[in-house]
Amino acid sequence: MSTIGTPELLFLLRGLGWTLALTAIGFVGGIAFGLVVALVRVARRRWLRTIAAAWIAIFQGTPLLMQLFVVYFGLPLLGVTVPAWGAVAIALTAHASAYLGEIWRGAIQAVPLGQTEAAHALGIKYRSLMRDIVLPQALRLSLPATIGFLVQLLKGTSLAAIVGFIELTRAGQIVSNQTFKPLIVFGIVGALYFLLCWPLSLWGSRMERRLARDRR
Amino acid sequence: MTLDFGVVWARWPELLMGLGGTLFLALSGMILALIIGVLGVAIRRSHSRVGSALVIAFVELIRNTPFLVQIFFIFFALPLAGIRLNPTVTAIIALGLNGGAYAIEIIRGGVESIPKGQTEAGLALGLKPGEIFRKIILKPALRAVFPSLASQFILLTLTTSIATSISAFELTSVAQRIDGDTFRSFEVYFTITAMYLALSWFIMSLFALISRAAFTYPTR
Amino acid sequence: MLAKTTLTAIAATLALSAGLSTAADARSLEDAKASGKLIVGIQADNCPWGCLGSTGEAQGFDAAVARAFAAHLGLEAEFVPMAVANRIPALTTDKVDVLIASLGITAERAQSVQFSQPYAENTLFVTAAKSTDLPDLASLAGRSVGVPRSTPMDTILTAEAPPETRIQRFDDDAANIQALVSGQVEAVGSNQFYIQRLEAARPGEYENKFPIGALYQGIASRLGEADWNTAANEFLDAFIGSDAFDAAYAEWLQVEVPQLPDTIDGVSFTVARQ
Repeated sequence: MSTIGTPELLFLLRGLGWTLALTAIGFVGGIAFGLVVALVRVARRRWLRTIAAAWIAIFQGTPLLMQLFVVYFGLPLLGVTVPAWGAVAIALTAHASAYLGEIWRGAIQAVPLGQTEAAHALGIKYRSLMRDIVLPQALRLSLPATIGFLVQLLKGTSLAAIVGFIELTRAGQIVSNQTFKPLIVFGIVGALYFLLCWPLSLWGSRMERRLARDRR
Repeated sequence: MTLDFGVVWARWPELLMGLGGTLFLALSGMILALIIGVLGVAIRRSHSRVGSALVIAFVELIRNTPFLVQIFFIFFALPLAGIRLNPTVTAIIALGLNGGAYAIEIIRGGVESIPKGQTEAGLALGLKPGEIFRKIILKPALRAVFPSLASQFILLTLTTSIATSISAFELTSVAQRIDGDTFRSFEVYFTITAMYLALSWFIMSLFALISRAAFTYPTR
Repeated sequence: MLAKTTLTAIAATLALSAGLSTAADARSLEDAKASGKLIVGIQADNCPWGCLGSTGEAQGFDAAVARAFAAHLGLEAEFVPMAVANRIPALTTDKVDVLIASLGITAERAQSVQFSQPYAENTLFVTAAKSTDLPDLASLAGRSVGVPRSTPMDTILTAEAPPETRIQRFDDDAANIQALVSGQVEAVGSNQFYIQRLEAARPGEYENKFPIGALYQGIASRLGEADWNTAANEFLDAFIGSDAFDAAYAEWLQVEVPQLPDTIDGVSFTVARQ
């Protein structure tokens, strides 16, 4: 019976590296596409808004696990061959774009309408209105929720384990099966996630308190 | 390779049973989460320092680790400590604990938004502390946080799909069986993704009805 | 509003599903030779067949076969680790060139993939604690039995165990074994290697109760792709019986090299000529 030594811990840390890489890809991709989703969601044309709303409804109304499965098994049918991590990264990016898009839509609409009207009265164009007036304020308002979603996404990468991709959780399963010490192994895996997520969560709630204080 | 949804749809009775399993896990999980949420807030508002600290630790621990790790821990690791639960019970407890941690934070936010004056007015009217918590604080607080709670519970419904990893019976596990028989992975998962979408729409409508029925009295 | 949007979304996804029907570009043997790599699907945690060592490199009998196959073709083997249930989908959706992933040859699977001739034998059992009284299939009634999802253990027990058996399906052998060790199931559908791993975990506690079948494993390629199938069979003709084959069998499987069958009911080892 093997024990949990340095090689096992190193194997878990390599899994952790993949977890961080997947989170980073999903988050950066999600920010880029999420901004598009948010802007389309508040566009002036109704059909554009409907498309963005449907995109958000699909990703918020179905399990992340199914999104991973559909992308993982669906991309090859479209003639696109990507490695497992690529499929997972694409699914996470699409998932993140919907959630971040919805968070930022809320923030954009939370910027008082009077400002938009004032901008119109001053003859400021839509592009400049968004870039210089609305988005900077919206970004600040949305920061706590955005950080909250980052934590959600980091935890969500664990589902890549179910399609067989070896990130932290899957690495934990493999080590647990080699050593038959699930209590310790899943304890370590849980602790590693906690060490990553907790500081982010604390940061998020500090931002939230600061915003609430400023608003008073 | 062409698509063939026929072999998947031919298995509709199993898919419906799976949907039933998912709904059962989701509703049981929600009820447990709500109980944990209210209890947790009650403990945090009591004057017990230890109780408060335990609740905070619980919330942080659950909210900062993945559900998959939590459910593996309960199913595979707890038996070594003498606690053995079957897959369905494990799934409900894991869903309840997970949803409960979020519910505590959401409900607490609502409770803190209730002005102090309201409690004082209750005291002046001679209500007991329990009555004040239930009638003057909890109900308006629940109304205030109902939308957040509802979206958290939708998330909980979607999370049930992960219970397949511990062999619980629900929609995803049925899908994996059909996939195993037909090897029509994309068609299977595409179909049940649509079913999940319909399910979350159904639960959303259910919450809208509840909200209308339960919180009709005037707000101002 | 939200409800309406959701309905639109459902309608849109269903419409999309009707319109989707394109052929993917599968890698041919020529493509593989041009790239210098043979992409092999292997199991990640099912040693001695296939598994990843603690530094992540592929190990086990399947890995040895795959490396020999790649060398035979003048290529380098690149491994893609798989969970049990996504092996065949990974092949049919072109994630890998071939599967050498302890995939037992069955008539059902032959509907979805093209098998080569067999290269190894795997005996299947029901395994449980020594203290559990399980003489035969009928005695499984009312008991919980773990199986790895969509494997022959799953198929055989689902078909042949009494209807009162509570069959619990896990993602892979790893989770299945873990479920037995943690007492979440009373017995498991197993293969000939479970007992080694169980002995390592809890010496003297478990035993094979009765056999439920034997499986022969083949190299799987996509249906109709004669290039891969022919290459696999030609390779196995040369490899089986060679010193390298015997050495790999002895190193990983640690059993006598069995007589492998020339035919299996309902399965053709070669692509049918059209």
